[in-house]
Amino acid sequence: MIVPAPRERLRHRRLHELDDWRQTTSDALPAFALVGMLVCTLVLVPGARSVSGLELLLSSAIPLVIASLSQMFVIVLGDIDLGTGYLVGLANVISARFLESSPEVAVGLLILVVLAYMAAGALIHLRKIPSIIVTLGASFIWLGWALVIFPIPGGDSPGWLSSLMSWEPSFVPAAVVFALVIAAVGYLITNRTAYGTVMRGAGSNRLAVTRYGWSMLRVRVVCYGLAAVFGIIAGLALTGITSSGDPNASANYTLLAIASVILGGGEFAGGRALPVGTVMGAFSISLVGQLLVFFNVSSAYQAGAQGMILVAVLAGRALLRIGVR
Amino acid sequence: MTAAELGVPAPHKRRAWATAKSLAVELPWIWVFLAVVAMWAGIVAVSGRGLLGTMTAAIALAPFLVIVGIGQMFVITSGNGNIDLSVQYTMPLAGFVGISVMSGGSGRAALGALAAIGVGTAVAAANLFCILVLAIPPIVATLSVGLMAYSASSLQAQSFSALPDPGLHAFTVSSVGGVSWLAIACVGLALVAGGALHRMTYGRALQAVGQNRRAASLAGLPVTRVIIISYVVCGVLAAISGLLLATYVSPSVSIGQPYLLNSIAVVVLGGSLVSGGRSNVVGVWGGALFLLLLTTLLNVMNIAVATQDIVKGALIILVLALVGTDQGS
Repeated sequence: MIVPAPRERLRHRRLHELDDWRQTTSDALPAFALVGMLVCTLVLVPGARSVSGLELLLSSAIPLVIASLSQMFVIVLGDIDLGTGYLVGLANVISARFLESSPEVAVGLLILVVLAYMAAGALIHLRKIPSIIVTLGASFIWLGWALVIFPIPGGDSPGWLSSLMSWEPSFVPAAVVFALVIAAVGYLITNRTAYGTVMRGAGSNRLAVTRYGWSMLRVRVVCYGLAAVFGIIAGLALTGITSSGDPNASANYTLLAIASVILGGGEFAGGRALPVGTVMGAFSISLVGQLLVFFNVSSAYQAGAQGMILVAVLAGRALLRIGVR
Repeated sequence: MTAAELGVPAPHKRRAWATAKSLAVELPWIWVFLAVVAMWAGIVAVSGRGLLGTMTAAIALAPFLVIVGIGQMFVITSGNGNIDLSVQYTMPLAGFVGISVMSGGSGRAALGALAAIGVGTAVAAANLFCILVLAIPPIVATLSVGLMAYSASSLQAQSFSALPDPGLHAFTVSSVGGVSWLAIACVGLALVAGGALHRMTYGRALQAVGQNRRAASLAGLPVTRVIIISYVVCGVLAAISGLLLATYVSPSVSIGQPYLLNSIAVVVLGGSLVSGGRSNVVGVWGGALFLLLLTTLLNVMNIAVATQDIVKGALIILVLALVGTDQGS
């Protein structure tokens, strides 16, 4: 056995400590960001300092939080879904149009959407085509389909869905309860099932996963299926909150969901699935948007602000990495 | 056993198949032109319009898409996931800025065009800063920068009253023998782009970088410079197309909207590789004509715009699925 010289050993240990520090900082980043955003909001918005005030601020974030988990299941593979926003919009429109009047039609259509997503995943794998172009093309299918159902916003939310989304527990904002449930479900899938490990493995070392006998095709199909399921739940939540279906209401979720996943500690290269961080990331990003609205920032600036947030998050992560190296 | 029983095609059949196959490899744009002819025939059959009128209408609109498509092709050819999703936002911004500079007085058309080119260069510079310095993946970098450009256009649009330059407008609608001058200029642009890509050192280097960045870098090619040039070309061409389109119709924040998917579609349909390293200028023209004729066909068949989105999205996925295999993910 080769024993490194004492000095070498010390250097090794320092490197490990440095690595640990980097990992801890990087893991804690979404929590810091969320606490920072919450403190900012509470200081700047006096009306938010009560359970109902906070509820009002946080509840509108729920659809984005769920949509971010949808994006997470694609990013974990090293892919990107450019259709998340219109997927949520399609689910929103289908549920607002059919869920009350003919639930079986709504369920049938939503299952069809999940199957279409799984087919897209299979296609990306089998034909080795870049995920962005397939999901970009697919996003036009979701948008077109939603516009066929509702050329202009309309429809209604079934009573049970509206009352679920307007539930007001007295002790804590309902949004916090929902977020905990969503994060827990995501965590159970990615970190407490054997297949969750395979998903993360598929993103970080494809060869190892295939060598162990797992089918990459199946992993992709499962991940895209999960992405569709979470996208649909996000659409249902949106229907419950807004009581209407609008094909374009969630168009900007695509970029915001990507930003949430990355702020939550995800990597574009794949291999990292952090549902708890992603949920916190989505809340932070949603709060930024709320603050812009609160301070009457012209709507013209909002798109640019979203782009700037994403660049800032990514630049911050890059700086953190360089500083440690 | 005869050759047929062994599943070997008869010699002359095999030769025909081999010819077709090598034709498809050497001239990958041939399919898109076959599709153009099919669309053309379809429109004439459904609507009873004239053959020539149908095609000249498509040719009049094609330049705007061809210009953006060629730029997008430069970026996609550099490979490694490079793609410019900001073109749809560069176009209206360049339109607003160019037209407002031009309206400052007569004879300021050249100044306005320079301003628009400046906008394209600025967007490209921001994209490159995010991609090269901050190491942000191109998809996210160009989308984020694009959104900032969108905000800038929205601000411009709030109090925009300038009218397009009459001289430039006259140019965009002028034609000779039924073919618009813009289309003729655009054929010239395609020739220049083709020359740059296949005959110049830069173009060869670009293809090499797209095929294998590491090998290109080890061979001593200036990889970073090649990528910088491709993004600047794309930004500037998107800006020029935006200025021309805003002058042709009228400036608005949404004029670029169809060009995100379409600019990528013409590159893919035209036989360039999505993964980079192989580009085809002729194919961009074919792809643009195909998309415009497809829209016309769907229109004469009275198909709603929403359904057209579905058809186009599905078509791009279908084409990719058919040609996909040899492209990396």
